[in-house]
Amino acid sequence: MKAFHAFCVVLLVFGSVSEAKFDDFEDEEDIVEYDDNDFAEFEDVTEDSVTESPQRVITTEDDEDETTVELEGQDENQEGDFEDADTQEGDTESEPYDDEEFEGYEDKPDTSSSKNKDPITIVDVPAHLQNSWESYYLEILMVTGLLAYIMNYIIGKNKNSRLAQAWFNTHRELLESNFTLVGDDGTNKEATSTGKLNQENEHIYNLWCSGRVCCEGMLIQLRFLKRQDLLNVLARMMRPVCDQVQIKVTMNDEDMDTYVFAVGTRKALVRLQKEMQDLSEFCSDKPKSGAKYGLPDSLAILSEMGEVTEGMMDTKMVHFLTHYADKIESIHFSDQFSGPKIMQEEGQPLKLPDTKRTLLFTFNVPGSGNTYPKDMEALLPLMNMVIYSIDKAKKFRLNREGKQKADKNRARVEENFLKLTHVQRQEAAQSRREEKKRAEKERIMNEEDPEKQRRLEEAALRREQKKLEKKQMKMKQIKVKAM
Amino acid sequence: MSMNSMSDPRRPNKVLRYKPPPSECNPALDDPTPDYMNLLGMIFSMCGLMLKLKWCAWVAVYCSFISFANSRSSEDTKQMMSSFMLSISAVVMSYLQNPQPMTPPW
Repeated sequence: MKAFHAFCVVLLVFGSVSEAKFDDFEDEEDIVEYDDNDFAEFEDVTEDSVTESPQRVITTEDDEDETTVELEGQDENQEGDFEDADTQEGDTESEPYDDEEFEGYEDKPDTSSSKNKDPITIVDVPAHLQNSWESYYLEILMVTGLLAYIMNYIIGKNKNSRLAQAWFNTHRELLESNFTLVGDDGTNKEATSTGKLNQENEHIYNLWCSGRVCCEGMLIQLRFLKRQDLLNVLARMMRPVCDQVQIKVTMNDEDMDTYVFAVGTRKALVRLQKEMQDLSEFCSDKPKSGAKYGLPDSLAILSEMGEVTEGMMDTKMVHFLTHYADKIESIHFSDQFSGPKIMQEEGQPLKLPDTKRTLLFTFNVPGSGNTYPKDMEALLPLMNMVIYSIDKAKKFRLNREGKQKADKNRARVEENFLKLTHVQRQEAAQSRREEKKRAEKERIMNEEDPEKQRRLEEAALRREQKKLEKKQMKMKQIKVKAM
Repeated sequence: MSMNSMSDPRRPNKVLRYKPPPSECNPALDDPTPDYMNLLGMIFSMCGLMLKLKWCAWVAVYCSFISFANSRSSEDTKQMMSSFMLSISAVVMSYLQNPQPMTPPW
């Protein structure tokens, strides 16, 4: 055992010496000569066994020395690894200038030279990694677009406002000479003229005038183009549209006879005939040419009966229509005016819509979109025509035949309407009756006093009996009449 | 225009106050653009916020501007302001989350 121990110590010393030599080895870059060839064989074989056996041997020794011994064993293992690697290198590098030394290196020079042959491509830094303002060009574009929209909004709003003011300034005198109240928004306590337009929108201005013979009032609506909306401006470049002035005169019942009449551009009349309730019901024929009355070809007439057209187309009216034909879109006089046809989801409305005697005028502002404030003066004669029409409507009366025809027409329309809605009205009446009964029953049920309950029940029974009797009487009467 | 200068057509006793047209038929007749644009703006700003799409947020800003330009004066300004603020916040959030510039689809 002792001899073995001594042998192990000797080997350990040997290992450390050779290890030192190998350290020097590793420090030097060029491994040229190798001193310890003598021990090369030994190191390959014996050191492994030495490293293993000392571990085995050492671990069986006292526990106190285990930690230190283990470290030593680990160190030895590491050294063994180094030594193994070094010995491998040593084997290949046994000769000073070995051709085989550079065997593995041949490929490397070749690849580097091939790289030199390929052109170097400089790839651009992707835009999202750059840090310059130029890469944000889309954002700048967006902001510019927004600024352009805002600029257009301000400019358009101002232009519309100037046009409205110009129109009002031109027409103020005429309106004030005809109406007591010029300009009212309905909010003031007293009916005093505000003397200015009501701005409903950036492109719609209202003016209410009232206090005149014949009419209840006149609502003037200046419907300008949406100059404040850039999208609209661009759309208008494709399709030119005109500014419009819409005038709605509500007549007193006693100041207008019963007729429906319209004159205007053919296109406008066709559209109105489809849209307007009264025109579709009373003027079923297609728009006729007004050439017979001396009107230009651009204008057509829709009328309930020939007499109305004859009465309306007097010299003055024809003069107005001929001279200002380009500015007239439509003129619509009606005693049955109720607005456009209401499309209800449940089918026909149960009640005939309320009608009002109305004169409607739609004028186009000249300029076809490129309007200037001075163009508003061109509309003044049209306002004169409106005033004239109001007075004319009061004066014009149908003769006896015309009146009979008109009455018949109105009765016919009402009858048609009633027929169409008969079923719905019956259903509505039935449901109303059921509701009443249910309400009464509930009332009876809710009565706490039993006496009262009984009395109410009796009263209800009596009422029902009476109704039945009445019905039976009616049936008998009808039968008798039939006979 | 031959108006009899002797007879004044004005009748102060027949003055009627202005009654704004009933609102039931008006919304149908009136231009629906501001309402559509408002709704569209809100949808786009939600898309921009949720899906982190910058272009959605920008379109939302445009929609709210268009809605504002077409709005009626009787309409609530609070609605306009809220949709406007929502679209601005969508843009800001998109850029905070991802400061890189927008890439065009082409």
